[in-house]
Order: sequence, then structure tokens, then C-alpha cells
Amino acid sequence: MRFFKLQRYTAIALVAFMALHMIVVHYPPGHLDFSRVVDRLGNPVWKVIDIAFLGTVLLHALLGLYDAIIDWDKVTPFRRVLAGALIVIGLVAFAYGAYTVISFSPAALAALR
Amino acid sequence: MFKTTGFISFILRRFTGVVLALYLLLHIWVIGAATQGAEAFNRRMEAVSTPVFHILEILLLAAVIYHAFDGIRLLIINNFRVTDKRKSMWYAAFAIAALLTVVGGLPILFYVLGINF
Amino acid sequence: MATNGQKRTATVRIQRFNPDVDKKPYIKEYQIQMRQGMTLLDALHEIKTQQDGSVTYRRSCRHAICGSCAMSVNGRNMLVCEQPLKEHVDSQGRVTIKPLPFLPIIKDLVVDRSSFWEQYQRVKPWLMPPDDLPDKEFRVSPEEIKAMHDAEKCIMCGACYSACQVVAMNKQYIGPHALLKAFLRTLDPRDATPAERLDIVSDPNGVWRCHTIFNCIDACPKNLDPTFAIETLRNLAARRLAFEEERRERQKTLDQPVKGA
Repeated sequence: MRFFKLQRYTAIALVAFMALHMIVVHYPPGHLDFSRVVDRLGNPVWKVIDIAFLGTVLLHALLGLYDAIIDWDKVTPFRRVLAGALIVIGLVAFAYGAYTVISFSPAALAALR
Repeated sequence: MFKTTGFISFILRRFTGVVLALYLLLHIWVIGAATQGAEAFNRRMEAVSTPVFHILEILLLAAVIYHAFDGIRLLIINNFRVTDKRKSMWYAAFAIAALLTVVGGLPILFYVLGINF
Repeated sequence: MATNGQKRTATVRIQRFNPDVDKKPYIKEYQIQMRQGMTLLDALHEIKTQQDGSVTYRRSCRHAICGSCAMSVNGRNMLVCEQPLKEHVDSQGRVTIKPLPFLPIIKDLVVDRSSFWEQYQRVKPWLMPPDDLPDKEFRVSPEEIKAMHDAEKCIMCGACYSACQVVAMNKQYIGPHALLKAFLRTLDPRDATPAERLDIVSDPNGVWRCHTIFNCIDACPKNLDPTFAIETLRNLAARRLAFEEERRERQKTLDQPVKGA
């Protein structure tokens, strides 16, 4: 169950990612619209950081959910099915999320105006 | 053995973790409006920017901060031999988390109250 | 040194349950005079011999070595033979004694420890020496003994197992007691099968189910550290084959004197 070590490593990475995310995106609090986001996410470096963040947090969250659910002994026979389901959810969420990050382009903003 | 700090730490950590995991999936979906263009994104952001949502944001912040600091406490305990200080470490983690939630939550609260008609 | 001037009365609240007669457990209160140096076990004896012979509990050595008398006192697991009564009564002189939690009750304060023993057997808690035994004794260094963190002091009382919230949720969890024993045997330089042991505890219901709740450490009457044992086993499980190779090397010199021995 190397998931365990992975959980720890993603946790450490997330302390940094989360702090960054909160400061850069949510402070000072104000109305978040497309242009405010594109100011940052238009830059490809931020796109890479955000996608890395997305992957890390999805991994940590789904590993954590798996861990929590299999604590319940009734689930033990369905462990593989659960893992499969969570992997599918994770991949779909990651693909959609990454595509979303890429969608924040100045061109899309121009289409608005 | 229910009233130990270890138990409370575990229950809160698990509860915040599950809530945050479910929130994450929701968040990905909400922000995903950007795939349909800037207009769609702005409309969705309007929908989730009501004062109620801002209050929920503060609760979310509390959940993230608690989960993070309890997690950091665990990482410390697991890698350094400080098991005998685990209870005081939990109180410290909880105190720091509470403080940061207030520090982080107040701006949101003021924003809600300031812009609220 | 102040003496016990006024004799205090203690109210001992005991959880009773006779499955032949009762539908569910209930609390019965007994009043006793607190005597100097009285332990919780002494209190139970007094109640059983003087007031109510039907009160049922396990006990044997009465000096914290047999592990029979682990019970839940005011919500915490402990050995009643080594706990002074006066330390556990509240300002009104009340103390509540219940059987170990999360285990089926046989009668009153006696619980069914079958799952505890099954999990213990599962980790093969006996030493498996190498095939070629030395002519003389095994020589083990003080560092190697220290690495075992006193795990051999465990008296199998069940306080940790029954305090564990994971055990409460999942009776297939191996449990802190068995994992501590597995740790002891895995780290023992005289044991030839660490890889097999690590395989057993790497089961999904083994070391990975521990959520570092630490109730086991709180409960242990011998101040042992199952959480540390479990953490060590987790780290070793990651490199079990390398660890077994190291063990094979070590066993080539098991009969030779070590530094400091």
C-alpha cells in the first residue's frame, strides 16, 4: 500500500499549493470574474502550476476517500471496485479540470468583449 | 475512550477530509464553466457569489485550515519522537487553525457586510 | 504526611449484565468505605465478598503482570489492580467501572476476547529462528534491544485493542497489540522470517488501517507505544526484501560477541 506514502507526500506538497492558491486567488476577497482570473491564468507558467496543484489535490482527496471508506469492514469485498471507481472519477475530474485551466485564455476574454 | 484528543482529532480530520473531497469535485465542476467561454463563467460566478455562499466559504476555509494543521501535526509526530507531546500539539494545532480561520475569514466577512446592501 | 482523618464513602457504579436474565446492561451502585491504599480491584473484591457475590470480573495476579483485570474506568481503559481508588473518584466520591468497550460482554465486567486472540495468532507471535542454530547462545547487541522499545513488556491485557477506534469500526483490523508483537518479532535479530511477517502486517487490514488516534498509548498500563511500532512496520514494509537480506547477513554472526555486550 504505497498509497500511504503518496498520501503523505501529496499532503506536504498541498500545504504549499494551498497556501499559494489562497493568497493568489482569494485575497483580497472581491468579485472573481473571467478577466481577473485570466490576468493570472493567461500566463502559461500559472497554467502549469495550477494543473500540478489539481493533480496533487485530486490524488490526496481520492486516496483519503478510499482510506476512509475501506475502514468500514462491510466494504472489504468491494475494495477493487471502489478503487476502480475512484480512479475513473479522478481521471475524468483531472481531464476536465486541466481543460478548464487551459480555457482561461486572453482570446476567450476577447470573445467576451 | 471517546473523549481523548486523539479521537476528536481523528473525527474532525476525517469529517473535514470527506467534506473537502466532495467540495473539490463540486469546485472543478463549477469552475468548469470556463470551458464554455468567459460569459458562461461570469454568470456562474455571479450565481455562487451571494452572501450565503461567502459565509459557506468561511466554513470551507475553517475546514481546510483545520485539516491542514492537524495533518502537519501528524506528519511531525510520525517523523520525530514527540509522541508524549501529542495532546499539547493538538491544542496548538487547533489554536493556530482557529486563529488563521479568523484572520482569513474576517476579510471575507467584511467584504460580505461591506458590499451587502 | 496527612492521614485519612474522616473516612470517606465511595460510590462504585458497576455496569452489570447477565445475558440469561437481563435485556441490556445497566448500572448498579455500591457504597463502600474507602480504606488507606485501596485499589479499584480491592473495591471490587470488597463489593463481591461483602455485598453482592454475583458481581463478575476477571483478576489474577493483582500486581499488573497477568493482564486479566483491564476494564473501563470513568471512560478510560486501565488495569484496576494498580489504580488507587481515591484517584478515580470524583468530588462526590463516585467512580464508574464498565467492561472494556467494543467487545461482546459475557457477563458484567467480563468480555469476549476471541477477536483479540485471533488477531494475535494471525501475526505468528512466536520466534522463528534460523535453520542453522549456533552452538552457543545468540548474541544480540544493546542497540538491537533498544530498537525494540520495550515491546516485550506487553502483558496482553487488551486495554489498547479495546480502546482503538479502528477496532471499533473494523473487527478485521489486526490491532495495536498484535502489531506491537509483530514489531517485536520482526526487529528481533534472532528471527529468520521478517519478510513473511511484513507481508502479514501489510494486509489492507494491517498497518495501513492505523489512523494515529493514539488511544492505544493512552490506555497501555506499561507505557508502550504501538503507534511507533506500527509506523516502523510501515517503513519496513516498503523495503521488506532488503530488510530480509540485512537479517540474513546479521544472522551469519549471531553467535559472535557484539560490541558492548
